[in-house]
Amino acid sequence: MNQPRAAKLTWLLIAIVGALTVFPVLMLVLGSFSEGLTAFGVFTLDKYVDAYTDPALAEVMLNTVIFVIGASVLSTVLAVFLAYLNTRTDIPFKFLFGILSVIPMMIPHLLFSVSWALLLNPSNGLLNLGLKEVFGLEEAPLDIYSMWGMILVEGLLDMPIAYLIIAPAMASFDVALEESSRVSGASAWKTLFRITLPVLRPAILAAFILGIVRSLASFAVPSVIGMPGRVPVLATHLYEMIATGFATDYGKAAAVGMSVLAASVTLIVVYRALTAESEKFVTIAGRGFKTTVIELGAARMPLFALVGVLSFVLIVLPVAVLAYTSFMPYSMVPSARAFSMMTLKHWRDVLGDPISILALKNSLFLAVVGATLGVVLSVFVAYVIVKVKTRAAGILDSLSYLSFSFPGIVIGVGFMWFFVQTPLYSTIWALLLGYIATYLPYGIRPMSSAFVQIHSHLEESSLVCGASPLTTLKRIIVPLLIPGIVSGWILLASMFVRELTLSVVLSRPGTEVLAVQILRFSEDGLWGKLSALGIVMIAITTALVVLATWVGSRFKTA
Amino acid sequence: MKRLLVATFALCAALNATSQDKAQLEKARAEGKASFYANITAVEPIMKAFTADTGVKGEYTRISTTKFVATAITEFEAGKFMADVVQGPVPVLEILKQKGVLASYRSPAAKGYPDWATKDDQIMLFGIEYVGLIYNKERVKPADVPTRYEDLALPKWKDKIVMANPANHATTIAWLVALNENVFKDDAKWRGFLAGLAANKPMFVSSFGPTPAPIESGEKLIGISMPKYIVTKSPAPLDWARGAQPLMGTPRAIGISAKAPHPAAARAFVDYWLSAKSMGILAKDVGEYVLAPGVFPPIDGIDKAKVIPIRELSDEETQKWGAEFKKIFDVKK
Repeated sequence: MNQPRAAKLTWLLIAIVGALTVFPVLMLVLGSFSEGLTAFGVFTLDKYVDAYTDPALAEVMLNTVIFVIGASVLSTVLAVFLAYLNTRTDIPFKFLFGILSVIPMMIPHLLFSVSWALLLNPSNGLLNLGLKEVFGLEEAPLDIYSMWGMILVEGLLDMPIAYLIIAPAMASFDVALEESSRVSGASAWKTLFRITLPVLRPAILAAFILGIVRSLASFAVPSVIGMPGRVPVLATHLYEMIATGFATDYGKAAAVGMSVLAASVTLIVVYRALTAESEKFVTIAGRGFKTTVIELGAARMPLFALVGVLSFVLIVLPVAVLAYTSFMPYSMVPSARAFSMMTLKHWRDVLGDPISILALKNSLFLAVVGATLGVVLSVFVAYVIVKVKTRAAGILDSLSYLSFSFPGIVIGVGFMWFFVQTPLYSTIWALLLGYIATYLPYGIRPMSSAFVQIHSHLEESSLVCGASPLTTLKRIIVPLLIPGIVSGWILLASMFVRELTLSVVLSRPGTEVLAVQILRFSEDGLWGKLSALGIVMIAITTALVVLATWVGSRFKTA
Repeated sequence: MKRLLVATFALCAALNATSQDKAQLEKARAEGKASFYANITAVEPIMKAFTADTGVKGEYTRISTTKFVATAITEFEAGKFMADVVQGPVPVLEILKQKGVLASYRSPAAKGYPDWATKDDQIMLFGIEYVGLIYNKERVKPADVPTRYEDLALPKWKDKIVMANPANHATTIAWLVALNENVFKDDAKWRGFLAGLAANKPMFVSSFGPTPAPIESGEKLIGISMPKYIVTKSPAPLDWARGAQPLMGTPRAIGISAKAPHPAAARAFVDYWLSAKSMGILAKDVGEYVLAPGVFPPIDGIDKAKVIPIRELSDEETQKWGAEFKKIFDVKK
């Protein structure tokens, strides 16, 4: 694309993305400097003084750093491991493992955390009971209500995001690079650490940074696991700020949120610096490329067993707990008596509830339409970020993270303060725009990782042959981006199916969504109904993932 | 003759009231719907009954307590407040009253309610969010069930209690303070109880909602929770600890919006809400403790319990006591 056109496209995208993301954050900035409880009031610095002179803040920050880095390292390492096995090797049942890897993303975070508490609480957690029985222990060996418990559960929840960013990059990795290394005498391990992983650095870093930003904004794990374990982190600190009293001051919470925003923007700048020379990571150029399957040989079955056990313990078990809970009349530890009391009551209640059915329809609409619009916007934004390396492209990159970086507990109020000034307030369109604005990085990151690996020679050759930029995008770039597009769509759609932070503030009668219904059940302690609706949510998301993967594979073969 | 005059006057007044009611209902029907902002469990049966009995559509928007004031004031100041009727804890309605969000209305349906519930013409009280000790009746022997709040500080309950976080859960904070003001009436004894309770290392959750699940499953045996869960979580093996001491809770309140888009429907809704029929549904289906005379939730023994409203704390007091409890309960490990 020539420079004036690229500049025009960049500024157009800055206008679109800016309109989506800047206003809610601006409202929160105004609120943080205003007296009173809304965005507009007399200027004051009191909220910052109050928020940052709190003696508890230092410990909260230290815990937060340990929590987010721990969770992000865990999610990224697991994702690299699973993505490598799934995309590059001949491990059996690949498709199944691919789906299993993204399942934690489909489960409402609250439910996933509760499932782990049921498995690993020190009083009667199922795994603890089993371990006590097997090893004849007096006390439960594991306590989920701790920092390591929080890291484990958050790491698992963020793993699918990392997987969906890393897997497309792995899939479009030119194996010739690895073959050259092997031919030159390097071992498989050396090739992995000296060639494969360094080339995948943009995708791995993107996954790691998204993980950090997500765990900073996470509330379910700090609330369900951190609060009983008495491990305060930023999210629970913000909750305390908001919940203690009735005249909730979101401006003060926004003041604390500003440091999260600053940390996130810094991370993005660091990421851009670390991946600045993007030519180094190009693996698909005009000279032909191929991906071949690495034969695991004797390690095939042991690795299969390892991934199988991992998937079972980390993913299947919590989902099974969920299914079990949906059939129980109340919370019970599994036993012969419990199984004899199984009932379909919660399922009948949920499926017969008109609001739950309306919520299901609305969530499906928002997922399909929102993810599709989000992916279209993401293709253009990712293109500009990766291929048009101007300062304006950097601004666009940072803008795309604005709403996403803000703690979820606060950003919804920013959107409310913004949308109430527009005719969109209390309509489904406010939800649609809010979703796209907040979760845009989920669309952009997988696409950027894929763009990084496509050499500009391909594009240039097409243009030289007389194709228009749009034709080049349609005929050359998009087909190569299919894995990224599928990943982005899946990430966005599954986020939208279970989106809570904006919905809880913006949804009104007629625009109810699934996650808000689930929250209502949770507030009332109705875990059976909550689990039944959660399973419906997982089923819908699984159907969307399978559909997107199938459509993606059709495009690939077409 | 005098009697005849009184009877005639009463008949005229009754006919007049009935015709006024009819006229109000006609207006409400013409307005079409009543929008209700609240954070209360399972009120859909009341909304359905209201729609069926009056011909006015009842529309429920549930807004969590932490976002209630922010949402109401943001909408009100932007001229987009869509609620006709609001319901919430008294401090929330007090804030809305101060901001001019509420209108005056004395509902004839509140006849028979206690005087303290109807003294304010903008904020009507209809229930008490009662808190008590809830236990697993399959795991706790009858002899071990506490009969006084002080029993919860006994070492036998160590690691067996669940409660909402006393550092930030406003209702729990108010309840703990009310224990001193209404039960202990002695600061040293009260602090001794708090120290004993803290030494028992209760498990903290974010609010009352998650308290019953660990008790049902046996993860914990007892909790500071709400007896209404005995109804909503039936057939879970839950029961409440009976004793001579009162059950206490914050009053639940309802009010009409000063800029209600459907003012006649708003009044019709409040009248319906405060009626014995609605309060009966609330007590029967949701286990709520309501103030309508003679209406009780279907929980054994609750009709004989002394249930009292507690003093509402200001936000400053809530934060002060939250910080104090954070230290006493050593909320961070």
